[in-house]
Amino acid sequence: MNSTRFFYLVSVLRFDSNSCMPEEGKHILEPQHWVERYGDYLYNYAIVRVNDSEKAEDLVQETFLSAFKAKDNFLGKSSERTWLISILKRKIIDTYRKQYSSKESSMADYEQDISDGDFYRSEGPFKGHWLEGKGPHSHSLMPEGELEQKELMDIIQLCISMLPPNLASAFVMKMIDEAESDEVCKELGITASNLWVMLHRARLKMRQCLESKWLK
Amino acid sequence: MMRKIGHNMMVFMSKRMIACDEASFLVSYRSEHRLGFKQWWQLKMHLLTCHLCRKYAHQIKEMNLSVDKYRESCSHDTCSHHLSDEASSKIQHALDSELHAK
Repeated sequence: MNSTRFFYLVSVLRFDSNSCMPEEGKHILEPQHWVERYGDYLYNYAIVRVNDSEKAEDLVQETFLSAFKAKDNFLGKSSERTWLISILKRKIIDTYRKQYSSKESSMADYEQDISDGDFYRSEGPFKGHWLEGKGPHSHSLMPEGELEQKELMDIIQLCISMLPPNLASAFVMKMIDEAESDEVCKELGITASNLWVMLHRARLKMRQCLESKWLK
Repeated sequence: MMRKIGHNMMVFMSKRMIACDEASFLVSYRSEHRLGFKQWWQLKMHLLTCHLCRKYAHQIKEMNLSVDKYRESCSHDTCSHHLSDEASSKIQHALDSELHAK
């Protein structure tokens, strides 16, 4: 067990023998109502971050089961929902880490993910300039008129799901979860400069995807 | 003489100018970091002369705003994803068997 995981477990699963006693002002756990009360909320949280309904369902189930096993360690200071989300968050980060380490085993794929070769000219006097058709076409990404909120969300989600997994992990942690760069680097086991290259690459792909979907 | 000065100026400029790949990286990088003077100046000069990167910078700003909206709307329960009935009952079943095992 690495040290990050260990400290997390210590902080989340601190032992407290009175944890399930309904003291004044303390929250109590009611596992029999979890699925009905928080199932959709957790699923929503997970699917935005993993973009795969099956994986999101598995994460929700694992979260409930782990939470139930660790129910004696619930201190009652935070709400049930906040506590469940903190467990889910950890599970999502573990998924990212797995994706990242399995991706790293294939260096060719990884290099491909972060190489700029398919966006910029790689030789000639205009080396480093946008390739024909790969740069932005329009000044604005927003089409005329206001997009329906739902449509906007669907397109963003679709574009995130089309990112290669390790770019998506970095992009979601940084942009959706607003995690600090240090934290993302630590979780994914990468250097800061590596993270910025990945984020740049993710933005290039996201921009291209958004432009093609919105201006269709 | 003038041609030589012109040539030398071109060489001087081209050594200090950045191409679109670096400029677009700096556009992304400056969203969270303060650029050093040299990088700031190189980006400024590039954006002055490159209409594609100007568009890119504008679009990235718009994209960041849209992603902010996306995050906010999803944290206020307005995302329209729901667990399917099948998944719900499967999870409930798994949890029930844990509950009853205790």
